[in-house]
Amino acid sequence: MIRLQHCSDCRTVRYPASEFCGVCLSDQTIWDSADSLPGVVVARTLLHHSNEPSFRERLPFVCGLVRFAAGPVAICFLDDTAKVGGAVRVRTGPDGLLIAAPE
Amino acid sequence: MNARGYEGVVLCCPVTEPYVRRSEHGAAWFLARSFRRLLDASGVAKTEVDGLCVSSFTLHPDTAVAFTQQIGLSPRLLEWLPMGGACGIIALRRAARAVQAGDAEIVACLAGDTANETSFRDLLANFSTAARDAVYSHGAGGPNMSFALIADAYMRATGATRADFGKLAVAQRANARRNPLALLRGPMSMEDFMAARPIAEPLHLLDCVMPCAGGDGFLVMAETRARTLGIPYVRVLGTIERHNAFPYDPVQIRGGWVMDRDALWNQAGVAPSDMDVVQTYDDYPVISMLQFEGLGFCPDGAGPDFVRRNDFTIDGNFPHNTSGGQLSMGQAGAAGGYLGLVEAIRQLSRMAEGRQVPNVRHALAGGFGMINYDRGVCSAAAVLGLS
Repeated sequence: MIRLQHCSDCRTVRYPASEFCGVCLSDQTIWDSADSLPGVVVARTLLHHSNEPSFRERLPFVCGLVRFAAGPVAICFLDDTAKVGGAVRVRTGPDGLLIAAPE
Repeated sequence: MNARGYEGVVLCCPVTEPYVRRSEHGAAWFLARSFRRLLDASGVAKTEVDGLCVSSFTLHPDTAVAFTQQIGLSPRLLEWLPMGGACGIIALRRAARAVQAGDAEIVACLAGDTANETSFRDLLANFSTAARDAVYSHGAGGPNMSFALIADAYMRATGATRADFGKLAVAQRANARRNPLALLRGPMSMEDFMAARPIAEPLHLLDCVMPCAGGDGFLVMAETRARTLGIPYVRVLGTIERHNAFPYDPVQIRGGWVMDRDALWNQAGVAPSDMDVVQTYDDYPVISMLQFEGLGFCPDGAGPDFVRRNDFTIDGNFPHNTSGGQLSMGQAGAAGGYLGLVEAIRQLSRMAEGRQVPNVRHALAGGFGMINYDRGVCSAAAVLGLS
């Protein structure tokens, strides 16, 4: 499951969530839910260092910038097989964090 | 609309409270020490300072307001400028206009931060709403991760290689070895750069600034005042700032300088080729390359070719980050937004001692900062000169 906001007035999809629309400044919001959402990997990094001990035992792992087909970009945990320029599906993991993997 | 020039206003007294890796002192101590250095360098009495610009990440919960009480100053102009890597040039802009307009006569511009075991992590975890909610939670990579994504995109778009980043970092280390204020002064070869351990690929350890504590500052006043004081000064030929440029670029491959570079050079009345020293904001070498492109030193997308064709050492054809930059001096929080500007003033004022570039008449300083979410929001630049 993944949820994204869109503006009721101008339809702009936004992420991260916000109380108002950065395009038309409306505060009227609709939340859309889906099992996963399509996107494209814009950039990726293999992380070898984390500032939080809770992540350190999992190092190294891949994070990336994914552009949703709906517009905005999101920092996601990336599946190792996801390539820059490649299509991915983005979903929310059990911890509420975004995970992207090729279809 | 063209901005007015900065006739009659000058910058002087570049000072640095020496950087240290960690400190027991608070941020206010570094700011106060820097302020004291400004008074000592200028001969100005504390009570004559009637304007103050302050930047700091670790002064929290205090701001510039608390600092006036702490240093016993009653300024009639006060600016709190939390713009990170762009704060020095933005302070210059605010201070210069205040002096021109008569809102203040002598403005002290200061940036300083402390560093300890927890300060850096605390700063990252709560850097901004978007960083807290949507970035830090995904791996806690901090700025290394954000800039790794920018570097990855830049390398794919332009063909830049790690060796291009390394050439800048190695040249800056060579420059730092002539600067007693630099924290990192050991020799560094291209082999050292390439072999450094990976941090957030494509970035490795020697691509990344080292967080530290320290302070920087300068004074802004009327040229007539500086002359009366008998202190060296430099002129402001042109400046720009821009925030949240190109919000629809899916990833940052250009900074706000691209929107304003024509205005900068038109106001300055000189060209990129007239710059005798260039001080870019270098938290990572890729950002210096964005400035070479964005500020017109080479065509857009040609940063790698520009790096390969030039020598960035003090004795080279394109003296760049002559203090060693943040990559070799360390990044003392918001003072990182002052370091390049302070070095530009030093070079123009013939105060750069063992690293002085001969016959400097024009200098450029760049500023860049604040990864609010996925990109640096603030960009700035200043062209300084002797006449």
